[in-house]
Formats: sequence, C-alpha cells, structure tokens
Amino acid sequence: MISFTINGKAQMVDVEGDTPLLWVIRDMLNMKGTKFGCGKAACGACTIHVDGEAVRSCSYAVKYAEGKEITTIEGLGTADNPHPVQQAWIDEVVPQCGYCQPGFMMATAALLNKNPNPTDEDIDKNIINVCRCGTYYRMRKAIKKAAALNANSITNS
Amino acid sequence: MGISRRKFVVRTLLGGTGVMLGAAYLGRNSIRRSIYDMMENPDMLSYMGDTSNPLMWFEITNDNKVVLHSPKVEMGQGSFTSMVQMAAEELEMDISQISIVHAETATGNIDGMSTGGSTTTAGFWQPLRELAATMREMLKVEGAKKLGAEASSVVASKGTISAGGKTLTYGEIVDGVTDWEIPETPALKDPKDFKFIGQPVARVDLIDKVVGTPMFGMDATMPDMLYGAVVRPDRIGAKYKSSDISKAQGMPGVIKIVQEPDFVGVVATSIVEAENAKKAIIVDWQIDRSWQTKDIEDAIQVGKGDKMIIQKVGDADGKLEDGGEGIITAEYRSPIGAHAQLEPNGALAHVESDKATIIMSTQVIQLTRSEVAKRLGLDEEKVNLVPTYLGGGFGRRLHTPNAVQAAVLSKAVGKPVKCFFNRKEEFQKDTFRPPTHHQLKAKLDANGNIEALEHSFASGDVMFNAAMVPAIAGTILGADIGATRGARIQYGNIPHHRAVSWHSELPFATSWWRSLGLLANTFAIESFMDELAVSAGKDPIQFRLDHIQDDEAGRRLKAVIESARDKAGYQDTANGKSAMGFACSTDAGTPCAHVAEVTVSGKEIKVNKVTCTIDPGYAVNPDQVKAQSEGCIIMGLSASMYERMYVEDGQLRPTIYGPYKMALMRDAPKEIDVEIINGTGKPGAVGEPPLGPIGAAIANAVFRITGQRLREMPLTLA
Amino acid sequence: MKKSLFPLVAAGIMLTSISLVTARYGPDEDLPAEVTAESSEVANIEEESEIAFNKMMDVLTHQRCINCHPNDDIPKQGEDQHPHRFGITRVNSMTATNCNTCHQSTNNDYSGVPGAPEWALAPDKMRWEGLSRIEIAQSMMKPENNGGRSAEDVMHHLTEHELVLWAWEPGVDAEGNPREKPPVPVDEYVSAVKKWIELGAVIPEQ
Repeated sequence: MISFTINGKAQMVDVEGDTPLLWVIRDMLNMKGTKFGCGKAACGACTIHVDGEAVRSCSYAVKYAEGKEITTIEGLGTADNPHPVQQAWIDEVVPQCGYCQPGFMMATAALLNKNPNPTDEDIDKNIINVCRCGTYYRMRKAIKKAAALNANSITNS
Repeated sequence: MGISRRKFVVRTLLGGTGVMLGAAYLGRNSIRRSIYDMMENPDMLSYMGDTSNPLMWFEITNDNKVVLHSPKVEMGQGSFTSMVQMAAEELEMDISQISIVHAETATGNIDGMSTGGSTTTAGFWQPLRELAATMREMLKVEGAKKLGAEASSVVASKGTISAGGKTLTYGEIVDGVTDWEIPETPALKDPKDFKFIGQPVARVDLIDKVVGTPMFGMDATMPDMLYGAVVRPDRIGAKYKSSDISKAQGMPGVIKIVQEPDFVGVVATSIVEAENAKKAIIVDWQIDRSWQTKDIEDAIQVGKGDKMIIQKVGDADGKLEDGGEGIITAEYRSPIGAHAQLEPNGALAHVESDKATIIMSTQVIQLTRSEVAKRLGLDEEKVNLVPTYLGGGFGRRLHTPNAVQAAVLSKAVGKPVKCFFNRKEEFQKDTFRPPTHHQLKAKLDANGNIEALEHSFASGDVMFNAAMVPAIAGTILGADIGATRGARIQYGNIPHHRAVSWHSELPFATSWWRSLGLLANTFAIESFMDELAVSAGKDPIQFRLDHIQDDEAGRRLKAVIESARDKAGYQDTANGKSAMGFACSTDAGTPCAHVAEVTVSGKEIKVNKVTCTIDPGYAVNPDQVKAQSEGCIIMGLSASMYERMYVEDGQLRPTIYGPYKMALMRDAPKEIDVEIINGTGKPGAVGEPPLGPIGAAIANAVFRITGQRLREMPLTLA
Repeated sequence: MKKSLFPLVAAGIMLTSISLVTARYGPDEDLPAEVTAESSEVANIEEESEIAFNKMMDVLTHQRCINCHPNDDIPKQGEDQHPHRFGITRVNSMTATNCNTCHQSTNNDYSGVPGAPEWALAPDKMRWEGLSRIEIAQSMMKPENNGGRSAEDVMHHLTEHELVLWAWEPGVDAEGNPREKPPVPVDEYVSAVKKWIELGAVIPEQ
C-alpha cells in the first residue's frame, strides 16, 4: 500500500511500486486531466505537482509519492473557482485541441510559485512542454497575465 | 439551394424529454466533383452528409437547452464554436443555451467524408443556418398554437416564443408535440443583424479544456474496461508472419493474448501490464528490404515516376528549354514530416454478440465504422461510433484502422478494451507528410519581369492510396491533388507558366499532413520568387504585385499582400543581423501573406515577429481565425526550421519528441500580428492556408541577413 | 618522465606503496641492470600509479561521467554526447523546471529517464568536457575546485558516491536499449582510484 495526498484528499493505492504515477492517477483514481503524451518525460503533458514541485508523472514511480502531496489539474482550480493560471488561460482563449494544456498550466503554476514575475527568458527556460497546435504565443501572454492576476490576488488578500 | 420539406424528420426522444430534428441535406456529388471541390474549389466547400438516412441535428430538451449534434469533429480548429454561433443566430438563442456534442453514428448524422481540408465552417455556412432557421419557424408555429396566437404575430427571442404578453420557452413548446409542420426554408438573417456571427465569441470548449474535463478518446472509460496493446513493427514494410507468446503468457495482469492472421495483441488489466507483456512477445516479421534515407531521396526526384502537367499557360516549356539563354534555376527539398499530435491514436471498443460501440478520436467517422463492421462481420448500423474531441488531428486521424484492432481484442475477451499506440509507434507508424523535391525554372524579360516560370515537383502520396479516397480517384484525377496543394503558379500575369507533378510511391504510408503539399510547394515557389526579385533588382513585394492578374482572386491576393506589407512596415534591407522576409500563397481560395522578422546569431535563426494578413472570405469568429493563423504560423515554423524524419537501417526515426525537434515556447515568435480581411462575405478555409508562406518568409529574411539562400527544410545555416 | 607529487601525500603512504610494489615484482625478479634498487622502486611506483591513473581516467572521461561535467552549462545526453534536449542548461537546476522534474533517485525503466540520488550537474568548477586526462585530474584534485576535498575525500567521492556509481547501472534509454557502461568494471575502477590516491595521487605530466 502506498499512501499520499492528492488534491487535498488522503489516498491509498495497492499497486506495484514502480508503476508510473501517471497511470495510477488516470486509471486507478480516474482523474483524466493529467495526460499521456509520450511516456518518456519528453512532452510534459503529464506534468503534476509533488510537494509543490513540477514533476512529469509518466517518469515518476508511484513509490516515491509515499507521504507526499500531489496536485493535478483537477486540484489546481475548478470552473467556478479557477486558479489564476486557469483564469489567465480563459482570458487569453489559449487552448486549441487542448490536450497538452493541463501540463502547461501545471508547469506554469509551478513556475509562478517559485518566480512570481517571470521574464521572457524565465518562461523560455521553464516552460519546455510540447504543444502541436502552436498555442505558445497565447500561452506566453497568459503566463504574464497569470503573474499579474497572482500579484493582484496577493495584494487584495 | 434550400432544404426540401419532405426530407425533414422529427423524432421524439425516448421518455418524451425533447425532440430531435433532422434533415437530409445536399445530394451526394460525384466522386470526382466532391473530392476535387473539397480540396481545391473555395465555392464548393461542402458538407457531404449521407443522404440515405435522416440526419439528426438539434435536440431540444425540456429545460430549454438545444443540443447540436455535430457530424464534424472538433480537433482544435474551433469549428464547434462557429457552428454554435451560426445555430444561435438563426435559432434566436444565446450561445450559452446551446451545447454541442459529437454526433454518434447511431443518430444517423454521419459525415460521409471527413473532418479536414479547412472545410467545416465554410461547408456549414448555408445548411446549418437554414436548418436552424427552419427549426425556429417550426417552434414559432407550435408556440403560436399553444399561445393561441397567429404564427405570424409571435416573436422568437433568447429561446422563447412570445405573443400578447405571454411567453413559452422552446422546451415548453416541444413538450407533447408529435406532429410538426415543416415550413419552407425561411430567409436567412441579414448580416447587419448578426448578434453572434462575426463576433470573437469565446471557444465553447474553453472551460472544459482549462479544467481538465475528460473529453478526449484516450479519456474514455466503460465499466469492466480492460487495456489492450498491439505489437507493431519498427521496420518499414514489415509484415506479420507469426508470434511466440510463451513468455508473455502468464505475466502479471495478462487476461489474454490474441493471435490474429495479421497481428498479435495483449489484453491486460492495466496499460502498464499490457505494454510489459507486449515486450515479451516475439514476432517473426517478414521484412523484404532495409531502407535508408538515400533510397527515399532517390525515389523522390523530379523526372522520376508518373508525370502530369497540372497547370499550363502559354509556352513555358518552350521558353525554358534546357540550354536556353538567361534561364534561372534552383532546386528545393523538404523532408519527411511527422504529425506528432499529442494524443496518440487509439480507441475504446466494446464488442457484444450482435453490436459494437467504439469511442475514439477520428477524423473519418464513417470510414472507421465501416472498417470495424467489416472486420467483425456486422452490419454498419450495428456499430455505433462515438466520436470524441481530438487531442490534435492535423490529418493524422484521416485513417484510424486501429479501431479495428481494439474491436478484435474486445471481441476476444468479451469486455470493453482500450488500446492505444505508444509514442514510438506513433512516430514510426505515422502517415507522414511525404518528402518533396522541387525544380524551379524562370526567365526574366528585358524589364526584369518574369516571362516564363515553371514549377516541377516530386512527392510521395498524399491522397493517393489514402483509405478515405476511393481507389478510382487516382484514375479520375491523374495527379495527386493533395500533393498539388499550392503547387500551381498564382501569378497570372506571367505570360508563360506551368506546374508539373511527378509522383512516386514510397515504401511507408505518407498522407495528409495539415495543408498537405502547401507547405513545401509554397516554400519552393515563394523562395524562388524572392530569388527572381533579387535577380531583377526589384522590391520583392512590388515584384509579386506586378505579376498578379486583375481578377477577384488576384485582387484579394493583392489586398493581403499590401496589408501585411504596410502593417509590418516592410523593409527590404537587413538591419545588422536582423531582417524581414516576405511570402504569400493562396490555398483553398484563401489568400494569406506573412512578413517574418528574423534575427541570426551564429548559426541560430530566430523568428521574432510575424505579421500576417489573411482573407478567409468572412470570419465567423475573428478570434479563432487569429488563433488558427497563429497556430499555423508556429506549426509551419516548426516544420520549416526543425523537423525531419529520416530512415536508417529500415527504421523511421527518431521515435520521440526532442530528437524529433519541434518548436518550443522559446522558438515561437513573441509577436504575431494577424489582420483579417473579409473579402467575400462568405466564410472560406482558415485552418491550413496560413501554413503556406511561413517557411519561405523566414528563408527570405535569412537571405537578407546572411546572403545564404536556404533551399532545404529544415532551414540550416552553413 | 617527470613527476609531480600531490602536496598532501604523506610519507607513510609512500612507504606502504613501495612495499606493495616490491611485493608485486618480488625480490628475485630481474630489473634493468643500470637502474639502482632505489630508483627502480620509484619507477615501479610511477608505473603502478600511472596504470591506476589511466584506468581511473578511462572511466572519468567516459560519456557516463562527462555528460554531467559539461564545459558550457549544457548537460549532454546519450552515447553521442548531444546537448540535452529541450534546451536544458545549468540555470534549470535552480528553477521550476529542474533536473528532478524528470530525474528521480533511481532509473525509470518505463520512460528510460536515468536517475540516482542527488541527480545534478557537477559543480560549475568541475567542467571536464573537452579537457585532457591530466587537466581533469588537476581540476579534480584542486581544493578550490572540488569544494575543499582532501585526497581521501576525493577517493571516497569517486568510489562511494551513488551518483558516480550510477555509471555502472545506467539503465535503459527511451527505446529500452541499455546505456553503455564505462570501459572498466566497477571493482577494478574502485581499486584503481584507491591505488592512485594511495600512491600519492600523482598526476602524470606530458
């Protein structure tokens, strides 16, 4: 049995410890927002947070999740209460096919946690996921917008 | 063309919770007309529904929502949003009152062809609005009866019918009505009265895509679902002979190993277990030859294979005879390209004794249903194909026979089975963009104008041998009209010009890749136009304008060129290590022009900004026209600057993102400025045309900075 | 050949080393006549040290080691030592997308992503890529480069650190093919490092 917290809820899973966390999340816990793109930690579609750090879950054995706090796109925000990153994505109408977008939003949220006001260079170095529709241009705008929304929410709260 | 009354069908939903309205629309064109028109003729971008069944379109529920059942799929191109805009406009409803879903084939609303070719919004422009307007009139008639008013006196607004101070919702009106009067097709709304059409309405799938709602084929589930994996060869041309499954049997989680005459697959209780067992299966493949990149390049050469002249004006052949005076020539090449869409191909299949359900991402609903039915020995009507949102299409899902394998595995275990490609398989078993070779020849007259221009090009299959196109198409059409996209000379004032197609088959599948031949053909022609302008000592934009004929297509092309030039403030000389490059093209009736602003440092090419003007005829959703243009620019930049598949010892490589280098965030232009011209008032193609000019625009800028003329994709500085 | 003695070498280690050399050749073995007994012993130590040095360097110059000791802040990957895909640089080790976004404390056989405890680039001052064996050794033994390590500390690092020993358990790549291991078996490498340090960590000169 492996125990962890996912999106704020305690969870126990009975699974072979080397199983990629991605498949535990998608197929055992039935949360489909975290995507399979390549299974080789190359595309970033499966990006989640483990203890607040961006992790590519296809390349993360579930045994390492023991005792950790996991956040997926489902835990980042909701339609009624979106995370600033999601709000910025909505404001800029970023998604096209949408498949890669949760991974990008999770990577962006991790970036803003560490670096609330990233420069273009910071964005280029940290947001290295793959999007085939070519939404990068709008994503860059949304990342900057999310940083501004974040700053506002901190100021207001 | 209006809708014939007799072709309307109304079906009361089970349980009486609403009503579905269907209509058969448009006769099926002849094979030649349909395919040709779809690919090449902007006026005939048509919806090709099956006329043998009524098409169920609108479902009105008692809580006053309309569900629009779309026979076309949403793969990111934004068609669902423009369809809802069109429906809302004529139904007199708000956008939020309409939801749109993919039509299951069980509804009967099946598109006989595909979603692709940038045709959806254009093809639905007339029929969908007519259907919606007819539906509105039907609701007015029944609403008037219930309100005790004259049909001519009622008003439809925001999903209600009102008369004499009384109001009924559409949901209330449909309740209990079984016998509908179907009026003649009403007049459509005057564009000046549009509330939603022409507005930058937010994508209808936006929130779902931002919060991670399960919506893609790979997200599908069913109770008791198992997971499948099929062994696929990594060698080109490998044919399945037999397999040794002794090691895989009994591995953890394995339910069954299924050996078929043409493939072997595993069913297990998880994806991981299925993939693990798959690795333990030893397959004996028949491999006749070990291919190398050089074999492929040798096959794709102008002068080899089947020749066809696809455009001929004047006597270009005579004017450009070998050995003639002052003939300028250049050769261009483009490599094999992968689709590399993020969601792998796959399907969830549930095969029961006398029926089957397939849930999947596909661009070819009818074809896939037919292939599954054939393999299972079922009538097509017994197979319900449930399309989902696509995690990228780009042409990759214009043949999805993997649904057959999922169905066979499901049948073997009697349970639902989900079966997907892994990423290596996705790269190696892609239906690639074929490599191309181009020979350009031209002659300038004494004034520096082009007297004669010829574009000869060689390509592998795009449309030929594609499963969705009848085999007879090749015989009817002669040239592969997929490969010829963008291959014709668009400068009608050149007295002598022609385009010549050379076609060769390759040992692996090549097919539709967003914009088909447009990317490579435009790269070659528009780079060469730049070479000619330089030779003539002329401004490259004015040089192009001088060669464009004065008809409607020519005027629209000139307008986008001038707009992009002026918006970008085009400068023809480099500023240190930076410069602008220009290119333009017309694809499926949509002209588009790009100015790329490029910096070179060392051997690195960086595109800082692209200014784009596109004339799609009419932008139903200007924001999504911009989004498609931005996406095409970035995808085209990626293909032009970085991407290349190669063949090594019989394998297509690379097999993973990274080694298959694609544009990332840092490579995308930080500024993309898109201007839209509504040149005709009628929507045309959007999702592909802006891919055309980007490669040449970048290469032309690089020439101004470095003096190097890059004639091969991916663009690489010496 | 000239020799340079590492400054921290103690006389005791020298003595031990000499006795080892003697033991190996044995008292009755013929030595070149013109060489005195004392100088021949020194020559043998030098030779022994150089053999150990070269064995160690066969490993340290292998791509399994050099890939994470780049000279340009860009980690390298694969047997062909190509720049790490996706533009990863030293900067990433401190940012939101860092080594541990993909690399964990063990190899991942499913993804082919290699992993070991403390997976990271070597420190900025340990840029080995493109250096000669002698230059690598000089860099490695210099306290201002190696974090103030003594020769013994270096020995422990080279022979016990899990990230170093990962080179012999490098796992499989993205396609499931085993990565190449260094050309010297791990036990021989460990012995060679210990011997070279014991013999004074003598860095041969050209």
